[in-house]
Amino acid sequence: MRALLRRHPALPAGLLFAAGLLLAPLLAERGTLNDLWNMAFYVVLASAWNLLGGFAGQVSLGYSAFVGIGAYTTVLLANAGWSPWLTLPVGAALAVAFSVMVGLPTFRLRGPYFTIATIGVGEAVRVIASGLEFTGGSSGLRMPPGTFDFSANYYAMVGLALATLALVAWLHQHAFGLALEAIRQDIDAAEALGVHSTWAKLQAHALSAALVAVGGGLFATNFQYISPGSVFDFRLSLTIVLMPIVGGMGTLVGPVLGAMLFSYLQIKLLASPALRDSYLFIYGGLLIVVMLFEPRGIVGLWERLVGLRPWRRTPAVAEATRAG
Amino acid sequence: MQKFVVVALNSLLAAGLYATMSYGLAVIYGVMRIINLAHAGLMMLAAYATYTLNDRFGLDPFVSLVVVAPAFFLFGLALYATFIRWLPRSSAGPSLQSLLLLFGLWLVLQNLAYAIWGGDTQSILTPYTMQSVEVLGGRFGVPQILVFMVSILSLLALNLVLRRTYLGKAIRAVTQNRDAAMLSGVNAGQIAAVAFGIGTAFAAIGGSMLSALYAFTPDFGRSFLLKSFCIIVLGGMESFTGVALGALVLAFIENFASAYTAIPGSFQDAISFTLLVVVLVAAPGGLPGVWRMLDRRVVAR
Amino acid sequence: MPADQTPILGVRSVSKRFGGLLALDAVSFEVQRGEIFSVIGPNGAGKTTLFSCLVGSVTPSSGSIRFRGEELSGLRNDQIVTRGLVRTHQIVRPFRDMSVADNVRVGVLYGRMRLRGPKARERVDEVLSRTQLTQRAQAKAGVLSIGELKRLEIARALATGPEVLCLDEVMGGLNPAEIQQAMALVRALRDGGLTILMIEHHVHAVAGLSDRLVVLNFGKKIAEGRPAEALRDPAVVAAYLGDETGARA
Repeated sequence: MRALLRRHPALPAGLLFAAGLLLAPLLAERGTLNDLWNMAFYVVLASAWNLLGGFAGQVSLGYSAFVGIGAYTTVLLANAGWSPWLTLPVGAALAVAFSVMVGLPTFRLRGPYFTIATIGVGEAVRVIASGLEFTGGSSGLRMPPGTFDFSANYYAMVGLALATLALVAWLHQHAFGLALEAIRQDIDAAEALGVHSTWAKLQAHALSAALVAVGGGLFATNFQYISPGSVFDFRLSLTIVLMPIVGGMGTLVGPVLGAMLFSYLQIKLLASPALRDSYLFIYGGLLIVVMLFEPRGIVGLWERLVGLRPWRRTPAVAEATRAG
Repeated sequence: MQKFVVVALNSLLAAGLYATMSYGLAVIYGVMRIINLAHAGLMMLAAYATYTLNDRFGLDPFVSLVVVAPAFFLFGLALYATFIRWLPRSSAGPSLQSLLLLFGLWLVLQNLAYAIWGGDTQSILTPYTMQSVEVLGGRFGVPQILVFMVSILSLLALNLVLRRTYLGKAIRAVTQNRDAAMLSGVNAGQIAAVAFGIGTAFAAIGGSMLSALYAFTPDFGRSFLLKSFCIIVLGGMESFTGVALGALVLAFIENFASAYTAIPGSFQDAISFTLLVVVLVAAPGGLPGVWRMLDRRVVAR
Repeated sequence: MPADQTPILGVRSVSKRFGGLLALDAVSFEVQRGEIFSVIGPNGAGKTTLFSCLVGSVTPSSGSIRFRGEELSGLRNDQIVTRGLVRTHQIVRPFRDMSVADNVRVGVLYGRMRLRGPKARERVDEVLSRTQLTQRAQAKAGVLSIGELKRLEIARALATGPEVLCLDEVMGGLNPAEIQQAMALVRALRDGGLTILMIEHHVHAVAGLSDRLVVLNFGKKIAEGRPAEALRDPAVVAAYLGDETGARA
């Protein structure tokens, strides 16, 4: 038991979190449950993205593509008679295929160049989706009637969120997580020790794409209506990236904290028209502040406060590796 | 044949503007190894500033450049002093931190524009906006020609500064080898500030010119930003002549694609996106890299 | 030639050009199994480039590299490592935010042996003890001293379970006591069955450890053979002209 706790220090918090979400329908009313559903969705997006972006250090600004793929697959197949639940694996498979298609050329690029390329890819996908006929064009699509069941939707999303967290935590502890960390810190040194970096990146990309796509499918099932503006939006890609960054990239808890923060922000933003117009200020301001003062996000700030990390970077380390 | 000449001339006109837009990015990248994602926001802000000067004071967009360019130079200095200065310098290329910081800045600038001017599409109308000139059987808009002239002038001015002044030489020195430049007595921090100012000023010139040609919203910077990336990557990131070359190549490809193929205008942006990704993946050294590679095959052994 | 005399590593006419610079010019030599083989030469001679070509982080412009009979040029770095050929870096590249144990673990999990579970943990402990890093196992690599970092660099490479270990200036920056320790470690590794290639500037260490060596200058091989002969070769002395070879250590 103690060994388990040592390897997964966040386990108690995680269990508490899970219990809270699973028991909520017994205690809370529908409005709150809607908000919790939203937060669970964000947890899925943020944690899945963190696999590639936080652990492996490859920041992709194009993840809304996977949300869209999952959402549209579900709506289109449901309208063709499929049960919405059966559409989810299909969406995931398509997202995996797309992630490989995008990853094969772009993973040859280093860090920031990869990020810029993903901006282009995300934009291209949105333009194409808005222009195609069978996706309903820019006016969007509806789910067929009779497919809405909030209770099922709630447990499905919460289940997905918990499964994502468990999967990410497990990978973090095992070989794959270590490979991704090594890639993030020094990709050449990782390869010099036998890590096939491109293959690892492709796997992380595919896994996170699949999770995000399933989230997208569940999103479609709950909202019953989707459009390129809602699921292929650059703003969504931005939110997906900001959550783990503000919360703490590359940590387990960071994306969850970020998800909680952003779902709270979203509630506030939707409630006040003035704030809604300022969402870019808020997002942009957050990015600036985090990057200037604490690139490791909330978790980093916490580590500094608690003394795990020095306030100022010690220059000694830099010198040690320049000698010889 | 005549169509070819007309399209070629149109490409040339466009290339001038593209080059001006891209030089701003190139100077900043060369000196600081930072990719300025806020470039789009600065272009957009300059467009709105030009619009306001035209709307409130009746200033012709080309005349207002005299005010806009220096004002944005100072704005760039201020931005450097407030934000950029604190970024850790990484020798291995642009850091994620700088990328995201400037991205955040872009978002803030967008919101600023929305707040001040609203989200409606704006455009600038002048007495000569609709006029055109006939050359070699093709019609070329007067604004396009004026923009081209301004672009060439500003590029020549930049070139003069880079080659003839101490400041320019210092910039080129830091671009090539920062440590060596510092050892030679160059104050790299000051040069970085000036470079950021110049980069911002050129973004402003580009944005201002764009406002004379196109209608715009606070969001419009993005496709031009991607074009600029495409150009500096094509041009090899560190070579100023390369940027001019990259601008020509992109302008030619875009204009010839729309003139000779059936690709619709809205997919035009996809051309620059695709080209960017292709170049980044297949020829990361840009055109100079391709040249070096060919050169090696001819010269090796 | 008897079967056990087949060289474990055969470098034939390897050249590497970087743009206008010819870093390696038709370098050829062979390394026998179980040898300690040194690569020496003035700064800029192309030694590290040679190592980069051997492990695949750089592709040779021409020539062939055969390892245990298999052609290596064109393979990726990680592919070559899993075949049993690994190198350390002259300027150490630890994973700073990881513990020393995790640094070594990367090599254990992804090297030639690809161990998992308890066997992997055992191997990590074994490698740490051979390089005297057991005390520092849980420390973050970023806080280690230069001597410890050098040992970590060796430990990680060792963790991959190689047959041939390429050491790039492991003695640079070490004090005399540490140099003795390093020499003892190299001998112990060879006695344990490894073949060792070394780039080294410490002539004393080179002369004391190597069975044979090769001398590079401006990318070309200018001498090869046993240390005693090669180091006396006039061409070698001329190459080092201006550096007092005796005074280096």
